[in-house]
Amino acid sequence: MTDDEKFFERLRGDAASLRYRAGDATLARIRTRIHDRIAFGPTTAMPTTAMPSIAELLASWFRPLAAGLAAIALAAAIGLTINTNDSAFGEEKVEIVMGGDTYLVDD
Amino acid sequence: MANDDPLEARVIARVQDGDAEAYDTLVSKYLPRVVAIAWGVVRNAHDAEDLAQEAFVRAYQNIGRFRLSEALERTSDPFGPWIGRIVLNLALDVLKHRRKFRHEELAGAEPAARRDDADVMAVSNDIGTRIDAAIEELPEMQRLVARLHLVEEMEHAEIADLTGLSEGTVRSHLSHARAKLKEKLADLYD
Repeated sequence: MTDDEKFFERLRGDAASLRYRAGDATLARIRTRIHDRIAFGPTTAMPTTAMPSIAELLASWFRPLAAGLAAIALAAAIGLTINTNDSAFGEEKVEIVMGGDTYLVDD
Repeated sequence: MANDDPLEARVIARVQDGDAEAYDTLVSKYLPRVVAIAWGVVRNAHDAEDLAQEAFVRAYQNIGRFRLSEALERTSDPFGPWIGRIVLNLALDVLKHRRKFRHEELAGAEPAARRDDADVMAVSNDIGTRIDAAIEELPEMQRLVARLHLVEEMEHAEIADLTGLSEGTVRSHLSHARAKLKEKLADLYD
């Protein structure tokens, strides 16, 4: 064992005494508070493996359905916009001013 | 937190099945260590107590997500590293919060009403005081790793599991911490 290793072995031995040790009364108090929160707390009645509520069950059905409908609506809106732009392009008139007179030329 | 216990997996499975009473077994087994880990980071008995409580409640709330079979491949007492990680993350959040609001607490300034006479305060002699001060002067991650290794007597793999760092990074932090500690405490073991 090198001097370095010996130094750290002794350091580790002394440092171990720095560990905080809560007394029995403190541990009992914490245990009681944990127990109270688990048994009676508003959000801690059951572990997360418990059965889902009816609201959660309905949400799990409706979420994908709503997402699907939203996607269809978006696709339809984009399609309509493209069609509208195409037809508007054909109807546009060009205005030419020449020698003080204005001429309108169809596409 | 190595302490082989073949029964632990069965206890966790019972808690996952909704047996809240079985959870007391896990609380009793790991509470002293969890309080010690929290105290090592926040250095305040009041906060350490609250953090330990919060960690156990969160662990219980999320025990359904705990992958028991995966954890058992690494250790036969899988709850230890998990609860250790939870309390460590909570404690580090407290540190960040304190830093954000520039709220620095003086050592030993914890509310007396929440301290129990039977609690053994960490620093009890001159050598301890010097070692503790030297560790506290280290940069945050070196301090955390050094404290877990030296004070909590955890091995590299255990620290890596707890902190989410790789074993190599743990070794690197520890190596830097050792160099600084040796410089500061060289006269201690002459």
